[in-house]
Amino acid sequence: MPNKYLYTKNSNFLRFLDNLSADYRVFVPQETRKNYFWKEYKGSFQFSKYRTVTPIRQFFAPAIEHIDNYFSPDKSKEIKPFCIVGAKACDLGNALKMHDYVFLEGDIDASYKQMREKNLIISSDCTSFKETCFCLALGNMPYPETTFDLNISHIADGYFIEVGSKKGEETIASNKSLFEEAGSRMQTERENNRKRTVEEFRCQIEALEFPNENLLNGLIKNGHSDKLWAEEALRCVECGSCIMNCPTCHCFLLFDTKDKNGYFKGRIWDGCQYKNFTRVAGGASALRLREYRLRNRYIKKFEFFPERIKLYACTGCGRCVESCPAKIDIRKIFKTLNENSAKK
Amino acid sequence: MNIYLPNKATITNIIEETPAIKTFVFKPHESFSFETGQFIELTYPGIGEAPFTPSSDPNKKDAFEVTIMKVGKVTELFHKAKIGDVLGMRGPYGHGYPVDSLKGKELLIVGGGVGLAPLRSLIYALYNRINDFKKIVICLGARSPQDIVYKYLLEEFKKPKNVEFRLTVDRADSSWKGNVGIVTTLLEKLPLDIKQAKGIVCGPPIMMKFASLKLLELGFSPKNIYLSMEKNMSCGMGKCGHCRLGKYYICKDGPVFIFDDIKDMWDIWD
Repeated sequence: MPNKYLYTKNSNFLRFLDNLSADYRVFVPQETRKNYFWKEYKGSFQFSKYRTVTPIRQFFAPAIEHIDNYFSPDKSKEIKPFCIVGAKACDLGNALKMHDYVFLEGDIDASYKQMREKNLIISSDCTSFKETCFCLALGNMPYPETTFDLNISHIADGYFIEVGSKKGEETIASNKSLFEEAGSRMQTERENNRKRTVEEFRCQIEALEFPNENLLNGLIKNGHSDKLWAEEALRCVECGSCIMNCPTCHCFLLFDTKDKNGYFKGRIWDGCQYKNFTRVAGGASALRLREYRLRNRYIKKFEFFPERIKLYACTGCGRCVESCPAKIDIRKIFKTLNENSAKK
Repeated sequence: MNIYLPNKATITNIIEETPAIKTFVFKPHESFSFETGQFIELTYPGIGEAPFTPSSDPNKKDAFEVTIMKVGKVTELFHKAKIGDVLGMRGPYGHGYPVDSLKGKELLIVGGGVGLAPLRSLIYALYNRINDFKKIVICLGARSPQDIVYKYLLEEFKKPKNVEFRLTVDRADSSWKGNVGIVTTLLEKLPLDIKQAKGIVCGPPIMMKFASLKLLELGFSPKNIYLSMEKNMSCGMGKCGHCRLGKYYICKDGPVFIFDDIKDMWDIWD
């Protein structure tokens, strides 16, 4: 086993990304007015302080996808995989684990499996946080601990690299000359940086009065009839931005259409905040009211997934808060549920 | 083969059941078998797909039948299809009726409207081993005499000695000489040991709701009532998210559920 910890200079890291471009479509965060967006790598890389506006799930199961033609011979699709540079902890860990459960458990979703096997995840530590970030409140750290191939932490004039998988190890091995062994002082620097970020972040988290993470499942389970759902849902305009920006939402709709090769099956991201999500022919719909739909989203993330795979399908990225035009705020919802349950 | 792609199935016969309901006989191009109560996705090529529970005998391997009511965009197109047309199909999905565990029991089957489709398949499956069951009471309801599906099979359903068959319509016409009233009116004086009997209910949600409540009132255990829940399953494999009901996916954990497992959920009848 080669060294788990490595170091590379800024200039060598760019050469590394250049090399990766031969095998991958390399995506990096690009800053626009304090927000980071995924952009294809074009020779420059900026270390992102916090998460991107959109999650990384688009690289594994795109928002709209041509699955395959049917009633015609199979054509194997060769897709150039993605290399995602600068993914943050809130897009990894539980977010990837729950996607793996959905798409790989039982019937295997071939395109997800392919992307999952072939994509390269080069994650990075958060060195700051947004006003909407609350991963710490859910017991998650603002630096990646699992499910990455390589993780980079900004130190001195370069990057401290942690190898997290066999794939990561192989990638380093084929670019050996660009990396050197990391000294223990470098690792100390990383740990100190991480500690400092967490301390600063903790002040913001404490101000939220967010209930203890272990209470969340019970608060939703016992809060189905809370009046808060109706009150909050009144402001919902059903834009779906909480769904589309969520790293753990996975729902989709299959559709049928035609192209020059014949009939094909496609899929498009869908979600339970849309009015017709549960509508059946004839008009009945289990989630016919906005309050049912809002509550349903929390049931899925804090009841369904804990029951199935013992994890919350929420990583505390705060994108649903950031993107909601109605200012529906998951952090306030849990605070209120907690207060209301204390009154009961 | 990608899990979301359909195989071909050719329509070999079409039976007009009622003005709004047709039964289609399909010959699948790939080998296909199902357990009674499981469902499939039928595809109108290039347009869309919808979930249906086959209404035919699960022991018949060379063909299967689907009874379709015209209610939406895709079902309207199915109704325009002709013998010889090739449609798409994938499945079967989910868990059907637990026929083996019904052995030695007394059964009550309650069906309404096009909800008879899965029940017809179940009836075939039960009749294939009819002596395994102590007694079967079948209670069926339809809106009006002309809305009764499988009229041509009803005499056959009555044949076994251990079967009691009851039929009612919500609204009679001048030719109707049978029972009038909703299906729950048939659930009186049941010749069954209610405490032990198994109840199987399938029909429109409102009918399933009141039939289930009636069975409970009669003394059926919630553990002995089976419901066939139908939601808007899209993928059929517990991935797309549409048909989740609390902690269950209707497609994967159902569509047949024991009432006791789902009775506390607030949205099961919607």
